[in-house]
Amino acid sequence: HQVLRIKTKNEEEVKQLQLLESLEHLELDFWINPSAPALPVDVRIPAVSVQSVKAFLESQGIEYSILIEDLQDVLDKEKQDMAESAQRQRSSSFDFGAYHTLDDINAELDHLASEYSFVEKIQIGESYEKRPLYVLKFSTGGSKRPAIWLDAGIHSREWVTQASALWIANKIASDYGTDASITSLLDKMDLFLLPVANPDGFVYTHTSNRMWRKTRSKNPGSICIGVDPNRNWDAGFGGPGASNKPCSDSYHGPSANSEVEVKSVVDFIKNHGNFKAFLTLHSYSQLLMYPYGYKCTRPDDYAELESLGRAAANSIRSLYGTTFQVGTICSTIYQASGGSIDWSYDNGIKYSFAFELRDTGRYGFLLPANQIVPAAKETWLGLKRIMEHVRDKSS
Amino acid sequence: DIDDVGHKYYLELELEDVLDKDRTVKCTAEVLYHLGSKASAPDVQLTVQGELRSTEEADKEFYNRIRSLEKELVAENIPDSHGNVPPALEPIHLLAWVASGYVTWQNSTENTKFHLAQVKHVKQVKRSDEDLQFDYVLLLHEMVSQEVLPWEVTVLWHPQRGARVSQCQGPGAGN
Repeated sequence: HQVLRIKTKNEEEVKQLQLLESLEHLELDFWINPSAPALPVDVRIPAVSVQSVKAFLESQGIEYSILIEDLQDVLDKEKQDMAESAQRQRSSSFDFGAYHTLDDINAELDHLASEYSFVEKIQIGESYEKRPLYVLKFSTGGSKRPAIWLDAGIHSREWVTQASALWIANKIASDYGTDASITSLLDKMDLFLLPVANPDGFVYTHTSNRMWRKTRSKNPGSICIGVDPNRNWDAGFGGPGASNKPCSDSYHGPSANSEVEVKSVVDFIKNHGNFKAFLTLHSYSQLLMYPYGYKCTRPDDYAELESLGRAAANSIRSLYGTTFQVGTICSTIYQASGGSIDWSYDNGIKYSFAFELRDTGRYGFLLPANQIVPAAKETWLGLKRIMEHVRDKSS
Repeated sequence: DIDDVGHKYYLELELEDVLDKDRTVKCTAEVLYHLGSKASAPDVQLTVQGELRSTEEADKEFYNRIRSLEKELVAENIPDSHGNVPPALEPIHLLAWVASGYVTWQNSTENTKFHLAQVKHVKQVKRSDEDLQFDYVLLLHEMVSQEVLPWEVTVLWHPQRGARVSQCQGPGAGN
């Protein structure tokens, strides 16, 4: 069946179509009935009548175009889409291959915490707009075991990172007890995962501006809102690679840790006192970096971090061939002061790495949802390689 | 380094066809960034060593489809927040990418790295001549400053004549 759109030029042509309408044996189904010359007429035509109707229109000089070439195709596709969607809803309450709102993410954190005894949801603070900062704690026992920190979404527009963090959380939780590596890791160490490090910015990317990066704090004396939370850490704060202008997307803020989202993490990690690794997810560019960003000199542990970084990048590449470049922040991306992994490294957390996930610019921040799970899977291999090394060095 | 002139880069590139991943073409290029703070586009010389795939049929199909629209095409947010591009708008997206290449070239220094972040808005403007005209608002992401800023770009396109940027206005211009 085809659906045609007919453009009538005058009253005479409208009358012709009304005549056509009256011929019941043609079984024409008008989606928009002929009424006035200025309005289009949409009509569904059963397959057997298509040729004769077109011949009629052409003989009368009436203009038409094909709106739907094959209606059955369209219906079949729609049915398929709906079945797939229903099946997704039936088999799991959370679709890791889709982008979600903050509320849905928080609900999934609750679900994971309730389903697994060794997973606990804790609140480490509140955002500027008073949203809770939720961390998933993975711990199979002990008392303040050596710990690994992993965060995502500090820059809110980098949606593949929050989405990947959820997949990774589920992966770790569901594979404990069956996967040898994850099991031995969690038997020795604790993992703390902050999937949405900048919830105010994240909500803003859903409601107002998909390209928002910063926090949503007010800057006194300026109409511009927000501070770049990854220029706000106390590591070379205010140095090159950060802006002192509130309207800039890399504004460092009035002082180090001025952003509550940053301060909450700093306080939590300092109070814990036993973190061995600090890992953070960003997008895009496909990079795997270690300190420093605020200065262009190599860290003392350069050889070990470079070697571990390369091993992790090889693990990432082993899955789909995705290549990540490895190096210090300064030499790989640009000089940038006030960054989180520089702070963690200078505060005694040797294994500090920042990942920039897919892609390299084709979609950038707007990575299609069908790439979420592949990106999460390959990233997880890199993270796992690093965590295994940390585990072996910490026991 | 060329004294009193600027910095010249010699590049060997491999182009990958985004729509045909197995197809690559080698190129060489020379890029000269001029000295001084005066904003001026770098000089670019490019040699393509090999053949690019013919897109004649697809070009013609797109051209005819747009020409036969009764109402001018209007669209926004390509891709959308979730990275989706409706198939019918894919050529519009690709043309935007070409246009962003021009804007990138005109505004590049040795300390910038631009990518097209999103087509915020596109409006077709019907013309009396043979060209198709699209007025775009393109969001360009600059990696070093991390700014995502809107550029108003008018693009003319024709199957044989290709793409031309006829107008280009940066963020904050016209205030």
